[in-house]
Amino acid sequence: MRFALIILTGGALALAACGTSADNNVAPKSQAARDAAGDNTIANGLGAEGSKFADATKASGLDATLGGPGPYTVLVPSNAAFDKLPPGALDSLMKAEARAKLTKLLVGHILPGAILAADIAKAIDTGKGKASLATFGGGILTATRQGNHIVLTDSAGAKAAITTSDDKRSNGVVQHLDGVLTGG
Amino acid sequence: MGKFLLATSLAALVIASPVFADKGGGGHGGDNGGGQGGGDRGGGSNDEGGQSVRADQSLGHNGGDGGQFMRAEQGRGHGNERRVERQGDNGNREMQASGNDRGEQSRYAQGGRDNGFRNNGQQRRDLNRDLQRNDPQLFDNRAGERGQYVTRDYNDGDRGGGNGCPPGLAKKDNGCLPPGQAAKFLGARLPDNYANSQLPYQYRSWYRDDGDHFFRSGDGYIYRVNRSNNLVDGLIPLFGGGDYYALGDRWPDDYNFYNVPYQYRDYYADTGQYDYRYGDGAIYRLNNGSGLIDGIVALLAGDLGVGQQLPTGYDVYNVPFQYRDRYYDTADNMYRYNDGYIYQVDPKTRLISAVIDAII
Repeated sequence: MRFALIILTGGALALAACGTSADNNVAPKSQAARDAAGDNTIANGLGAEGSKFADATKASGLDATLGGPGPYTVLVPSNAAFDKLPPGALDSLMKAEARAKLTKLLVGHILPGAILAADIAKAIDTGKGKASLATFGGGILTATRQGNHIVLTDSAGAKAAITTSDDKRSNGVVQHLDGVLTGG
Repeated sequence: MGKFLLATSLAALVIASPVFADKGGGGHGGDNGGGQGGGDRGGGSNDEGGQSVRADQSLGHNGGDGGQFMRAEQGRGHGNERRVERQGDNGNREMQASGNDRGEQSRYAQGGRDNGFRNNGQQRRDLNRDLQRNDPQLFDNRAGERGQYVTRDYNDGDRGGGNGCPPGLAKKDNGCLPPGQAAKFLGARLPDNYANSQLPYQYRSWYRDDGDHFFRSGDGYIYRVNRSNNLVDGLIPLFGGGDYYALGDRWPDDYNFYNVPYQYRDYYADTGQYDYRYGDGAIYRLNNGSGLIDGIVALLAGDLGVGQQLPTGYDVYNVPFQYRDRYYDTADNMYRYNDGYIYQVDPKTRLISAVIDAII
């Protein structure tokens, strides 16, 4: 299964690298949208440690959202976080017939507006130890402090800490996570 | 055109309870109202990402409906005092929750048919458990945790492609159709009991009655009604709790008309190659040769609207970087971003009192 995952991921990367369709998908088609999105978009800045998340956005068509005007806050689980999912889970989601489910997983990591770690921390303090954040998946994340980290907990109880914060992009901000939020 | 659409969408925010089938009239306000002076927003020069926002927007553009116009009054003394106002033929009326919107209960907010808004904690998903099982029914949840508009009678079983139809659509002899009551309305006269079914707060800035059409809602849909014959000629599915159409799905014929929310129309206009359609919380790009979904170009939460309480999930300040010097939380006002607009919120009551800026 691990082998299959590697093949799948490698294939997706190869597709992104050699085909122009994926790249074209990211940039908005209208000049107004391109101008609003800027050059330094979330879609172009997920980084090596976010490559599995990036592959998943391409497979779902959400790369166009992350290359668009936004603004969005995107919680990006690291590749290692995806590796902690049950064997075969990501492989299954990357199949064409599972795109709706993959989309649903991903939108649970995208929030309206631009949210910095300091904004969350302030809201936690104001909220007597916790703050809630709505996702585009229809769910609510609860933010708390654990030591020096901000931890997000979804409705299913999955937790992820923000490991690298505030990667500001032209159409929003990326917060890097050490876990996958599976509950929307 | 873009300015007009933006202005009309904003004007919609201040017009409370339009009369059923009340024809919009030509509108000739002709007052650009000052707006924001255009030009200096975004600009791409800030050090927080440099997002460039169209510089030609003016909040104070002619509403184009019945001679109403809007004026954007900018008070920068404390950075947070700008407020969008409307001056119309009824005199001055501030776009505040104290207007007609205040206290008005939408059928959804009253928890009508399916208890539309935000039943935080209800119908929780246990996706994590599903993932651990690697269950084929992953993500097959009917409701978002926020409980938004999970009002359609989703077709059980083969959702999401198993029956060849996108989620929420039933396989019929003549293609994929929205199930239940809403489908019956398409092409028919909207029943009289929908006459006053105004759009929920969140959507009043998205779709506005004009000279050709008016909009009503119910059963998890917005109905576009043709004024010339009073027939429903379009269905717009509202947010379905995180159920999105998938890349490669065929866009349903019943939803296939240009329905992009007004505030996004400058960005997503149909072209010779692509069509853009809104449905279930996203704007989709369709290949207009194949009719298949080619990309998801924007996500919309549909969460905030003037006159409602700030819903669960908006504890955290989320105003885009380039607007933070103007709109920052104080003891007197909070600001939250949603779907192209920055809203002003009363911190004590958590009532959303005004759209303070349109940023796209």
